[in-house]
Amino acid sequence: MRNPGLPLHRALMLCATIALLFACLVYTLYAANLIAFPYDYDQGEGFEVQDSALLSQFTLPYLDTETYPFYSSNYPPLFHVMAAPFVWFFGPAYWYGRLLGFAASLLIAAAIAHAVYRDGHQNRWIALLAGLAFISSNFVYHIGPLFRQTIMMVAFETLAVVVLARAFPRGDKRGITLALFFLLCAGYTKQLAAITALAVILWMFLRGPRRALICTLGFGLAGGLVFLWLNLASGGQWWTQAIVANVNDFFYDQAVGLFRLWFGLHGFLLVPAALLVVVELYADRLSIYSIWFLATAALGGISAGTWGAGDSYLVTSIAAACMLSGIFFSRMLANAWRPSRILQVLPLARIASVSLLLAPILYLGYARATLKMPTTGEFAPLADLLGIERNVSFHTRQDEPGFYDSASWIAGGYARIGYFLTEADHAAGAQIVAQIQQTDKPVLSEDAGFAIAAGRDVVTNPTQLRNLYLAGQFAGDELARMIEYQEFGLIILRAQFFPPHILEAMGQAYVHNETVFMNGFDYLLLFPRPGYEPRAAS
Amino acid sequence: MVILCWQRFTAPAAESILRAMNADDTGISKQQLGMILLVGGIVGFCAILSVDIMDVGREGGIGPAQTLALIAMALVVVVGLTLLPLGDAPA
Repeated sequence: MRNPGLPLHRALMLCATIALLFACLVYTLYAANLIAFPYDYDQGEGFEVQDSALLSQFTLPYLDTETYPFYSSNYPPLFHVMAAPFVWFFGPAYWYGRLLGFAASLLIAAAIAHAVYRDGHQNRWIALLAGLAFISSNFVYHIGPLFRQTIMMVAFETLAVVVLARAFPRGDKRGITLALFFLLCAGYTKQLAAITALAVILWMFLRGPRRALICTLGFGLAGGLVFLWLNLASGGQWWTQAIVANVNDFFYDQAVGLFRLWFGLHGFLLVPAALLVVVELYADRLSIYSIWFLATAALGGISAGTWGAGDSYLVTSIAAACMLSGIFFSRMLANAWRPSRILQVLPLARIASVSLLLAPILYLGYARATLKMPTTGEFAPLADLLGIERNVSFHTRQDEPGFYDSASWIAGGYARIGYFLTEADHAAGAQIVAQIQQTDKPVLSEDAGFAIAAGRDVVTNPTQLRNLYLAGQFAGDELARMIEYQEFGLIILRAQFFPPHILEAMGQAYVHNETVFMNGFDYLLLFPRPGYEPRAAS
Repeated sequence: MVILCWQRFTAPAAESILRAMNADDTGISKQQLGMILLVGGIVGFCAILSVDIMDVGREGGIGPAQTLALIAMALVVVVGLTLLPLGDAPA
């Protein structure tokens, strides 16, 4: 007999699909907007460009920060290695790194859809919605099309998990090797992948402790050899710059704030995902997706509370939640559960009927909860129709930008990204580059993009110097001396992340003459103070 | 004395793990997982509490992060206990 709820189910599924496709459209427009912008959008992107440029010349970016240009990277090299061939053809630029990030996010969505289809009773429509749900996440939206390595790390992690979910239970050695290779790639894209590695090892241990031990030994050996090579090849700088300098302070309020935001935005899918974990725990076998979800939600969330971290640290858990919730909905709709004494007490047939409406309604709710869009221009009529207004504002300009984000700026105001850039931002960047070209001396810029655009040396990586300084690994005597003797023709500050004594030297020897507003921030332009007599070199 | 107590706690978990590493390598049972979570939760709970004993100079006693960690460990213990009756079902 035909189920009377089916037409309504299809109508609601169609609405959910349209809502999530709209999120995908906004994301694509945002990516296109960012790809055309030749300067920093998110703080630190320029240093990723610089890392790619160094690696394209077969130079490791783990350098001694006590000597000119006082530059070092604090990230593993794989993402920059992937961008290096683009440097050979197009020179140092932002667009290809952002394009790689955007492509990686689409790859993750496809992998999620594939896993939901394969392991969730072959429901194509739910698989599609699960993939689109990942793209719709505010956290993914914020960081996807950036020249940053987080999204590429998540892509490698997702591929590793999807391949291993099938390969390990079957004893498919080629598949297991491929999955562990992806995991190794994730780890050498960003250190945070250690959480996924831990989850994967735990799951393998549950399924086959002996094989897990063998796989872990092989994986550990391969990872350890790469680590050793990097450390030897960089003269020990890899350890100092990528490991020691990455131990940062933990802020409880930041972690709790991000957890709340994570749940508030993604709760419509997090609850079904958690329910599937409970079902697997008591009435089925724990899947790799469940262990992955638990580990990345708990440990990723805690890591998000460290200085310099943010919402991006929870993106892996969102990928896992999209998979688990998709599989949960597919199984509910098909009433396809493993025979279990515990599940027998539940009215499964009735639950399947209810889920015809519940699954699309939850996806619709999720689409609304994660809504973000411009509120001006072509989007203005739709914003009016949806009854949404601009709810974000810059530090110094409360009337901008015209953008609505249900994340309403990240907890603690740390990551203020997501809005579209304008012609005024392009012009402001060009104005700063023109100032750089006025001087023949080196320029110290807190965002590397201006120096790159002007064809100058990239001098310093302020966050890295700050972290090294706090770890007791940076004295900065030579940098302070160069500032004292006004050897830089111009200093450009944005967040003022430099160690205190460096900032103090800048304040003495340079004078703030101009402020350029770009990309939501005030860029302070400091020029050599006329008639300044250098103090005795420290 | 401490070592004896430690062995008494960890021996069942170790035995469970070794038994699971049989020739078929079929994996951990729900009961074994329950035991591992139970022991792990208790050890974790004690370790978090011992932060105050080891680092007596800390201010303010048990802080909010420590409280959350203790609740999480207690939850792990409860989940471990509820898995024990599920016997040989594969985890």
